[in-house]
Amino acid sequence: MDDVTAQHLQELRRGTVVLACLVTLERADYGYALLESLATAGFSVDANTLYPLLRRLERQGLLMSEWNTEDARPRKFYRTSADGRELATLLRRDWDALHTAISDLTEGTSS
Amino acid sequence: MTPHSTLTERYVAAAVRSLPENQRDDVERELRASIEDDIDARIESGVSSDAAERDVLTELGDPSGLAARYSERPLYLIGPTNFLVYRRTLVLIVSMVAPIASIASGAAHALAGDAIGEIIASVVVTAFTSAIQIAFWLTLVFAVLDWSGASRRGPLVPWTVESLPDVPERRAQLGDTIASLVFLGLAVAFVFYQQFLPVAWNREGAVDAPLLDPALWSSWIPVILVLMVLEAVSTIVKYRAGGWTWPLAILNIVLASAGGAVVAVLALAGSLYNPAFFAAFPWGTSAGILGVIAVGTAVLSIVIALWDAIDGVVRTARMPRGSRA
Repeated sequence: MDDVTAQHLQELRRGTVVLACLVTLERADYGYALLESLATAGFSVDANTLYPLLRRLERQGLLMSEWNTEDARPRKFYRTSADGRELATLLRRDWDALHTAISDLTEGTSS
Repeated sequence: MTPHSTLTERYVAAAVRSLPENQRDDVERELRASIEDDIDARIESGVSSDAAERDVLTELGDPSGLAARYSERPLYLIGPTNFLVYRRTLVLIVSMVAPIASIASGAAHALAGDAIGEIIASVVVTAFTSAIQIAFWLTLVFAVLDWSGASRRGPLVPWTVESLPDVPERRAQLGDTIASLVFLGLAVAFVFYQQFLPVAWNREGAVDAPLLDPALWSSWIPVILVLMVLEAVSTIVKYRAGGWTWPLAILNIVLASAGGAVVAVLALAGSLYNPAFFAAFPWGTSAGILGVIAVGTAVLSIVIALWDAIDGVVRTARMPRGSRA
Protein backbone atom coordinates (compact mmCIF):
# COMPACT_ATOMS: atom_id res chain seq x y z
CA MET A 1 0.00 0.00 0.00
CA ASP A 2 1.45 3.37 -0.95
CA ASP A 3 1.89 6.26 1.49
CA VAL A 4 -1.03 8.32 0.24
CA THR A 5 -3.51 5.44 0.58
CA ALA A 6 -2.15 4.55 4.01
CA GLN A 7 -2.47 8.15 5.16
CA HIS A 8 -6.09 8.47 3.99
CA LEU A 9 -7.04 5.18 5.58
CA GLN A 10 -5.43 6.25 8.82
CA GLU A 11 -7.30 9.55 8.77
CA LEU A 12 -10.61 7.81 8.08
CA ARG A 13 -10.10 5.39 10.97
CA ARG A 14 -8.69 7.78 13.54
CA GLY A 15 -12.02 8.80 15.00
CA THR A 16 -13.42 5.28 15.01
CA VAL A 17 -10.94 4.04 17.63
CA VAL A 18 -12.83 5.90 20.38
CA LEU A 19 -16.08 4.32 19.27
CA ALA A 20 -14.45 0.89 19.10
CA CYS A 21 -13.10 1.31 22.64
CA LEU A 22 -16.45 2.46 24.07
CA VAL A 23 -18.25 -0.47 22.44
CA THR A 24 -15.66 -3.10 23.38
CA LEU A 25 -15.39 -1.92 26.99
CA GLU A 26 -19.06 -2.65 27.68
CA ARG A 27 -17.29 -5.65 29.16
CA ALA A 28 -14.52 -4.47 31.48
CA ASP A 29 -11.02 -5.15 30.22
CA TYR A 30 -7.40 -4.02 30.71
CA GLY A 31 -5.06 -2.18 28.37
CA TYR A 32 -3.12 -4.97 26.70
CA ALA A 33 -6.15 -7.26 26.31
CA LEU A 34 -8.11 -4.41 24.71
CA LEU A 35 -5.19 -3.78 22.34
CA GLU A 36 -5.35 -7.45 21.30
CA SER A 37 -9.11 -7.57 20.81
CA LEU A 38 -9.07 -4.34 18.80
CA ALA A 39 -6.29 -5.75 16.60
CA THR A 40 -8.29 -8.96 16.09
CA ALA A 41 -11.31 -6.87 15.09
CA GLY A 42 -9.21 -5.03 12.50
CA PHE A 43 -8.38 -1.84 14.44
CA SER A 44 -4.62 -1.76 14.52
CA VAL A 45 -4.03 0.89 17.20
CA ASP A 46 -0.52 1.54 18.47
CA ALA A 47 0.00 0.79 22.14
CA ASN A 48 1.46 4.24 22.70
CA THR A 49 -1.77 5.76 21.35
CA LEU A 50 -4.23 3.46 23.10
CA TYR A 51 -2.90 3.65 26.68
CA PRO A 52 -2.95 7.46 26.87
CA LEU A 53 -6.34 7.45 25.07
CA LEU A 54 -7.89 5.23 27.77
CA ARG A 55 -6.74 7.70 30.43
CA ARG A 56 -8.14 10.63 28.47
CA LEU A 57 -11.53 8.91 28.08
CA GLU A 58 -11.50 8.15 31.78
CA ARG A 59 -10.71 11.79 32.60
CA GLN A 60 -13.63 12.82 30.38
CA GLY A 61 -15.93 10.53 32.38
CA LEU A 62 -16.59 8.20 29.45
CA LEU A 63 -14.80 5.24 31.06
CA MET A 64 -14.58 4.07 34.64
CA SER A 65 -11.61 2.17 35.98
CA GLU A 66 -10.85 -0.23 38.77
CA TRP A 67 -7.67 -1.99 39.84
CA ASN A 68 -7.89 -5.75 39.94
CA THR A 69 -5.26 -6.99 42.37
CA GLU A 70 -6.50 -10.56 42.61
CA ASP A 71 -4.23 -11.84 39.85
CA ALA A 72 -0.47 -12.18 40.23
CA ARG A 73 -0.09 -9.09 38.04
CA PRO A 74 -2.31 -6.18 39.16
CA ARG A 75 -4.16 -4.69 36.18
CA LYS A 76 -6.29 -1.63 35.65
CA PHE A 77 -9.67 -2.57 34.20
CA TYR A 78 -11.71 -0.05 32.24
CA ARG A 79 -15.44 -0.12 31.69
CA THR A 80 -17.71 2.16 29.64
CA SER A 81 -19.66 4.56 31.88
CA ALA A 82 -23.24 5.76 31.36
CA ASP A 83 -21.89 8.90 29.67
CA GLY A 84 -19.65 6.73 27.52
CA ARG A 85 -22.60 4.60 26.48
CA GLU A 86 -24.56 7.72 25.56
CA LEU A 87 -21.66 9.00 23.47
CA ALA A 88 -21.24 5.61 21.79
CA THR A 89 -24.93 5.63 20.79
CA LEU A 90 -24.55 9.13 19.38
CA LEU A 91 -21.37 8.24 17.50
CA ARG A 92 -23.01 5.14 16.04
CA ARG A 93 -25.99 7.15 14.89
CA ASP A 94 -23.61 9.57 13.20
CA TRP A 95 -21.69 6.65 11.71
CA ASP A 96 -24.95 5.25 10.24
CA ALA A 97 -25.88 8.69 8.90
CA LEU A 98 -22.47 8.97 7.23
CA HIS A 99 -22.85 5.51 5.77
CA THR A 100 -26.27 6.42 4.35
CA ALA A 101 -24.94 9.73 3.02
CA ILE A 102 -22.00 8.06 1.29
CA SER A 103 -24.31 5.39 -0.19
CA ASP A 104 -26.66 8.10 -1.47
CA LEU A 105 -23.75 9.96 -3.04
CA THR A 106 -22.45 6.79 -4.68
CA GLU A 107 -25.88 5.92 -6.09
CA GLY A 108 -26.37 9.53 -7.20
CA THR A 109 -23.20 9.45 -9.29
CA SER A 110 -23.79 6.00 -10.83
CA SER A 111 -27.37 6.69 -12.01
CA MET B 1 10.26 -9.54 38.88
CA THR B 2 11.24 -10.92 35.54
CA PRO B 3 14.96 -11.25 34.84
CA HIS B 4 14.78 -8.58 32.11
CA SER B 5 13.38 -5.93 34.42
CA THR B 6 16.15 -3.39 33.93
CA LEU B 7 15.18 -1.98 30.52
CA THR B 8 11.48 -1.96 31.39
CA GLU B 9 12.20 -0.29 34.73
CA ARG B 10 14.26 2.35 33.01
CA TYR B 11 11.59 2.89 30.34
CA VAL B 12 8.72 3.24 32.81
CA ALA B 13 10.73 5.57 35.03
CA ALA B 14 11.62 7.77 32.06
CA ALA B 15 8.00 7.86 30.85
CA VAL B 16 6.39 8.88 34.15
CA ARG B 17 9.10 11.26 35.32
CA SER B 18 7.51 14.37 33.82
CA LEU B 19 3.91 13.47 34.75
CA PRO B 20 2.07 15.25 37.57
CA GLU B 21 2.72 13.70 40.99
CA ASN B 22 -0.86 12.47 41.50
CA GLN B 23 -0.87 10.46 38.24
CA ARG B 24 2.64 9.10 38.41
CA ASP B 25 2.16 5.95 40.54
CA ASP B 26 -1.02 4.92 38.77
CA VAL B 27 0.41 5.34 35.26
CA GLU B 28 3.62 3.60 36.33
CA ARG B 29 1.79 0.52 37.62
CA GLU B 30 -0.47 0.28 34.61
CA LEU B 31 2.26 0.87 32.06
CA ARG B 32 4.53 -1.73 33.63
CA ALA B 33 1.71 -4.29 33.63
CA SER B 34 0.89 -3.53 29.98
CA ILE B 35 4.53 -3.88 28.94
CA GLU B 36 4.91 -7.14 30.83
CA ASP B 37 1.68 -8.51 29.34
CA ASP B 38 3.00 -7.72 25.88
CA ILE B 39 6.42 -9.27 26.61
CA ASP B 40 4.83 -12.45 27.97
CA ALA B 41 2.61 -12.78 24.89
CA ARG B 42 5.66 -12.51 22.63
CA ILE B 43 7.66 -15.00 24.68
CA GLU B 44 4.76 -17.44 24.38
CA SER B 45 4.90 -17.10 20.60
CA GLY B 46 8.54 -18.17 20.65
CA VAL B 47 10.58 -14.97 20.88
CA SER B 48 13.46 -14.88 23.36
CA SER B 49 12.74 -12.78 26.44
CA ASP B 50 15.46 -10.22 25.67
CA ALA B 51 14.28 -9.71 22.11
CA ALA B 52 10.64 -9.53 23.26
CA GLU B 53 11.42 -6.78 25.75
CA ARG B 54 13.43 -4.80 23.21
CA ASP B 55 10.66 -5.12 20.60
CA VAL B 56 7.91 -4.01 22.98
CA LEU B 57 9.83 -0.97 24.22
CA THR B 58 10.95 -0.04 20.69
CA GLU B 59 7.35 -0.12 19.49
CA LEU B 60 6.25 2.09 22.39
CA GLY B 61 8.83 4.60 21.21
CA ASP B 62 10.55 7.50 22.92
CA PRO B 63 9.30 7.57 26.55
CA SER B 64 9.17 11.37 26.44
CA GLY B 65 6.73 11.10 23.54
CA LEU B 66 4.56 8.69 25.52
CA ALA B 67 4.68 11.04 28.52
CA ALA B 68 3.56 13.91 26.27
CA ARG B 69 0.56 11.85 25.16
CA TYR B 70 -0.34 11.02 28.75
CA SER B 71 -0.17 14.65 29.81
CA GLU B 72 -1.59 15.92 26.46
CA ARG B 73 1.29 18.32 26.07
CA PRO B 74 2.13 19.47 22.55
CA LEU B 75 5.20 18.02 20.85
CA TYR B 76 5.98 21.26 19.04
CA LEU B 77 7.25 24.69 19.99
CA ILE B 78 4.60 26.79 18.26
CA GLY B 79 1.45 25.14 16.98
CA PRO B 80 -0.65 26.01 13.94
CA THR B 81 -3.07 28.16 16.01
CA ASN B 82 -0.60 30.97 16.54
CA PHE B 83 2.10 30.15 14.02
CA LEU B 84 0.91 32.75 11.48
CA VAL B 85 0.60 35.43 14.17
CA TYR B 86 4.09 34.47 15.34
CA ARG B 87 5.59 34.66 11.85
CA ARG B 88 3.95 38.00 11.05
CA THR B 89 5.03 39.52 14.36
CA LEU B 90 8.57 38.22 13.92
CA VAL B 91 8.94 39.62 10.39
CA LEU B 92 7.42 42.96 11.41
CA ILE B 93 9.57 43.51 14.50
CA VAL B 94 12.83 42.26 12.96
CA SER B 95 12.35 44.36 9.81
CA MET B 96 11.69 47.46 11.92
CA VAL B 97 14.13 47.07 14.79
CA ALA B 98 17.16 45.46 13.14
CA PRO B 99 17.79 48.25 10.56
CA ILE B 100 17.23 51.02 13.13
CA ALA B 101 19.50 49.36 15.68
CA SER B 102 22.26 48.68 13.15
CA ILE B 103 22.14 52.20 11.68
CA ALA B 104 22.19 53.69 15.19
CA SER B 105 25.16 51.52 16.10
CA GLY B 106 26.98 52.44 12.87
CA ALA B 107 26.27 56.14 13.47
CA ALA B 108 27.60 55.90 17.03
CA HIS B 109 30.84 54.36 15.78
CA ALA B 110 31.09 56.94 12.99
CA LEU B 111 30.62 59.83 15.45
CA ALA B 112 33.29 58.31 17.67
CA GLY B 113 35.62 58.59 14.67
CA ASP B 114 36.17 54.85 14.23
CA ALA B 115 37.68 53.34 11.10
CA ILE B 116 35.36 52.41 8.21
CA GLY B 117 35.95 48.70 8.82
CA GLU B 118 34.85 49.00 12.43
CA ILE B 119 31.72 50.92 11.43
CA ILE B 120 30.73 48.29 8.85
CA ALA B 121 31.42 45.50 11.34
CA SER B 122 29.26 47.18 13.99
CA VAL B 123 26.40 47.60 11.50
CA VAL B 124 26.53 43.93 10.44
CA VAL B 125 26.98 42.55 13.97
CA THR B 126 24.21 44.72 15.41
CA ALA B 127 21.77 43.74 12.66
CA PHE B 128 22.58 40.06 13.24
CA THR B 129 22.50 40.07 17.04
CA SER B 130 19.33 42.18 17.26
CA ALA B 131 17.55 39.81 14.83
CA ILE B 132 18.71 36.79 16.85
CA GLN B 133 17.68 38.37 20.15
CA ILE B 134 14.22 39.31 18.85
CA ALA B 135 13.70 35.87 17.30
CA PHE B 136 14.74 34.12 20.52
CA TRP B 137 12.55 36.09 22.91
CA LEU B 138 9.53 36.16 20.60
CA THR B 139 9.78 32.40 20.02
CA LEU B 140 10.02 31.88 23.77
CA VAL B 141 6.88 33.96 24.41
CA PHE B 142 4.86 32.09 21.77
CA ALA B 143 6.18 28.70 22.94
CA VAL B 144 5.05 29.50 26.50
CA LEU B 145 1.61 30.46 25.13
CA ASP B 146 1.31 27.04 23.49
CA TRP B 147 2.80 25.17 26.41
CA SER B 148 0.51 26.82 28.95
CA GLY B 149 -2.55 26.00 26.83
CA ALA B 150 -3.40 29.66 26.15
CA SER B 151 -3.33 28.93 22.41
CA ARG B 152 -6.31 26.59 22.79
CA ARG B 153 -8.60 29.62 22.93
CA GLY B 154 -7.66 30.52 19.37
CA PRO B 155 -5.14 32.85 17.77
CA LEU B 156 -4.03 36.00 19.61
CA VAL B 157 -5.01 38.16 16.66
CA PRO B 158 -8.06 36.66 14.92
CA TRP B 159 -8.11 36.96 11.18
CA THR B 160 -10.83 39.13 9.65
CA VAL B 161 -11.63 40.06 6.06
CA GLU B 162 -10.52 43.63 6.88
CA SER B 163 -6.94 42.41 7.20
CA LEU B 164 -6.91 41.35 3.54
CA PRO B 165 -4.17 43.18 1.63
CA ASP B 166 -5.00 45.19 -1.49
CA VAL B 167 -4.81 43.31 -4.81
CA PRO B 168 -1.04 43.13 -5.46
CA GLU B 169 -1.04 44.66 -8.98
CA ARG B 170 -2.96 47.89 -8.22
CA ARG B 171 -1.16 48.57 -4.96
CA ALA B 172 2.19 47.59 -6.40
CA GLN B 173 1.75 49.73 -9.51
CA LEU B 174 1.27 53.00 -7.66
CA GLY B 175 3.82 52.13 -4.98
CA ASP B 176 6.40 50.98 -7.54
CA THR B 177 5.88 54.04 -9.73
CA ILE B 178 6.32 56.49 -6.84
CA ALA B 179 9.30 54.56 -5.45
CA SER B 180 11.02 54.42 -8.86
CA LEU B 181 10.49 58.13 -9.56
CA VAL B 182 11.70 59.14 -6.08
CA PHE B 183 14.77 56.92 -6.45
CA LEU B 184 15.59 58.24 -9.92
CA GLY B 185 15.09 61.84 -8.72
CA LEU B 186 17.43 61.27 -5.79
CA ALA B 187 20.01 59.65 -8.08
CA VAL B 188 19.95 62.55 -10.55
CA ALA B 189 20.09 65.04 -7.66
CA PHE B 190 23.06 63.18 -6.17
CA VAL B 191 25.05 63.36 -9.42
CA PHE B 192 24.78 67.19 -9.35
CA TYR B 193 25.03 67.49 -5.57
CA GLN B 194 28.30 65.60 -5.28
CA GLN B 195 29.94 67.92 -7.83
CA PHE B 196 29.33 71.10 -5.82
CA LEU B 197 28.75 70.09 -2.19
CA PRO B 198 30.64 67.76 0.14
CA VAL B 199 29.36 64.17 0.53
CA ALA B 200 31.98 63.02 3.04
CA TRP B 201 34.04 64.28 5.91
CA ASN B 202 37.49 63.41 7.18
CA ARG B 203 39.27 64.52 10.36
CA GLU B 204 40.03 67.96 8.94
CA GLY B 205 36.40 68.59 7.93
CA ALA B 206 34.40 68.40 4.72
CA VAL B 207 36.00 66.78 1.67
CA ASP B 208 35.58 69.33 -1.13
CA ALA B 209 36.64 67.06 -3.99
CA PRO B 210 33.65 65.54 -5.90
CA LEU B 211 33.08 61.79 -5.52
CA LEU B 212 32.74 61.14 -9.28
CA ASP B 213 35.56 61.94 -11.69
CA PRO B 214 34.82 65.50 -13.01
CA ALA B 215 36.22 64.46 -16.44
CA LEU B 216 33.05 62.35 -16.87
CA TRP B 217 30.88 65.48 -17.23
CA SER B 218 32.05 65.82 -20.81
CA SER B 219 31.67 62.11 -21.57
CA TRP B 220 29.62 59.55 -19.66
CA ILE B 221 27.67 61.49 -17.02
CA PRO B 222 25.32 62.97 -19.68
CA VAL B 223 24.72 59.42 -20.98
CA ILE B 224 23.87 58.17 -17.49
CA LEU B 225 21.54 61.15 -16.92
CA VAL B 226 19.76 60.47 -20.23
CA LEU B 227 19.35 56.79 -19.26
CA MET B 228 17.80 57.83 -15.93
CA VAL B 229 15.39 60.24 -17.61
CA LEU B 230 14.37 57.52 -20.11
CA GLU B 231 13.82 55.14 -17.17
CA ALA B 232 11.60 57.77 -15.50
CA VAL B 233 9.60 58.27 -18.70
CA SER B 234 9.11 54.51 -19.15
CA THR B 235 7.99 54.24 -15.51
CA ILE B 236 5.30 56.87 -16.09
CA VAL B 237 4.24 55.24 -19.39
CA LYS B 238 4.02 51.89 -17.60
CA TYR B 239 1.73 53.31 -14.89
CA ARG B 240 -0.55 55.00 -17.39
CA ALA B 241 -0.71 51.79 -19.47
CA GLY B 242 -1.99 50.00 -16.34
CA GLY B 243 1.10 47.86 -15.78
CA TRP B 244 3.91 46.01 -17.47
CA THR B 245 3.79 45.15 -21.19
CA TRP B 246 6.35 43.18 -23.20
CA PRO B 247 7.69 46.25 -25.10
CA LEU B 248 8.19 48.04 -21.77
CA ALA B 249 9.90 44.96 -20.32
CA ILE B 250 12.29 44.88 -23.28
CA LEU B 251 12.96 48.63 -23.01
CA ASN B 252 13.61 48.05 -19.30
CA ILE B 253 16.15 45.32 -20.11
CA VAL B 254 17.94 47.64 -22.57
CA LEU B 255 18.03 50.58 -20.14
CA ALA B 256 19.11 48.44 -17.18
CA SER B 257 21.86 46.67 -19.15
CA ALA B 258 23.15 49.95 -20.59
CA GLY B 259 23.24 51.67 -17.19
CA GLY B 260 24.77 48.66 -15.42
CA ALA B 261 27.37 48.15 -18.16
CA VAL B 262 28.43 51.82 -18.25
CA VAL B 263 28.89 52.05 -14.47
CA ALA B 264 30.62 48.65 -14.25
CA VAL B 265 33.07 49.34 -17.10
CA LEU B 266 33.90 52.82 -15.79
CA ALA B 267 34.45 51.45 -12.28
CA LEU B 268 36.72 48.63 -13.49
CA ALA B 269 38.65 51.04 -15.73
CA GLY B 270 39.26 53.22 -12.66
CA SER B 271 37.67 56.28 -14.24
CA LEU B 272 34.37 56.36 -12.31
CA TYR B 273 35.58 57.81 -9.02
CA ASN B 274 37.64 60.93 -8.48
CA PRO B 275 41.15 59.98 -7.20
CA ALA B 276 41.31 63.33 -5.37
CA PHE B 277 38.24 62.35 -3.36
CA PHE B 278 39.77 59.16 -1.99
CA ALA B 279 43.13 60.88 -1.49
CA ALA B 280 41.46 62.91 1.27
CA PHE B 281 41.38 59.75 3.40
CA PRO B 282 44.34 57.90 4.95
CA TRP B 283 43.21 54.64 3.27
CA GLY B 284 42.40 56.33 -0.05
CA THR B 285 45.78 55.80 -1.67
CA SER B 286 45.97 52.05 -1.06
CA ALA B 287 45.67 50.25 -4.40
CA GLY B 288 44.07 47.28 -2.63
CA ILE B 289 41.21 49.26 -1.11
CA LEU B 290 40.61 51.21 -4.34
CA GLY B 291 40.53 47.87 -6.19
CA VAL B 292 37.95 46.47 -3.77
CA ILE B 293 35.80 49.60 -4.19
CA ALA B 294 36.07 49.37 -8.00
CA VAL B 295 35.16 45.67 -8.16
CA GLY B 296 32.44 46.10 -5.51
CA THR B 297 30.88 48.97 -7.48
CA ALA B 298 31.02 46.94 -10.72
CA VAL B 299 29.47 43.84 -9.13
CA LEU B 300 26.79 45.89 -7.38
CA SER B 301 25.81 47.75 -10.57
CA ILE B 302 25.62 44.49 -12.56
CA VAL B 303 23.56 42.77 -9.85
CA ILE B 304 21.15 45.71 -9.64
CA ALA B 305 20.83 45.85 -13.46
CA LEU B 306 20.22 42.07 -13.66
CA TRP B 307 17.68 42.18 -10.86
CA ASP B 308 15.89 45.12 -12.47
CA ALA B 309 15.77 43.39 -15.89
CA ILE B 310 14.56 40.04 -14.47
CA ASP B 311 12.04 41.77 -12.19
CA GLY B 312 10.46 43.46 -15.22
CA VAL B 313 10.18 40.18 -17.13
CA VAL B 314 8.72 38.31 -14.13
CA ARG B 315 6.16 41.03 -13.47
CA THR B 316 5.18 41.16 -17.13
CA ALA B 317 4.68 37.38 -17.19
CA ARG B 318 2.51 37.67 -14.06
CA MET B 319 0.22 40.35 -15.51
CA PRO B 320 -3.30 39.03 -16.16
CA ARG B 321 -3.78 37.86 -19.76
CA GLY B 322 -5.06 40.49 -22.17
CA SER B 323 -3.55 43.45 -20.32
CA ARG B 324 0.08 42.90 -21.33
CA ALA B 325 -0.31 42.87 -25.12
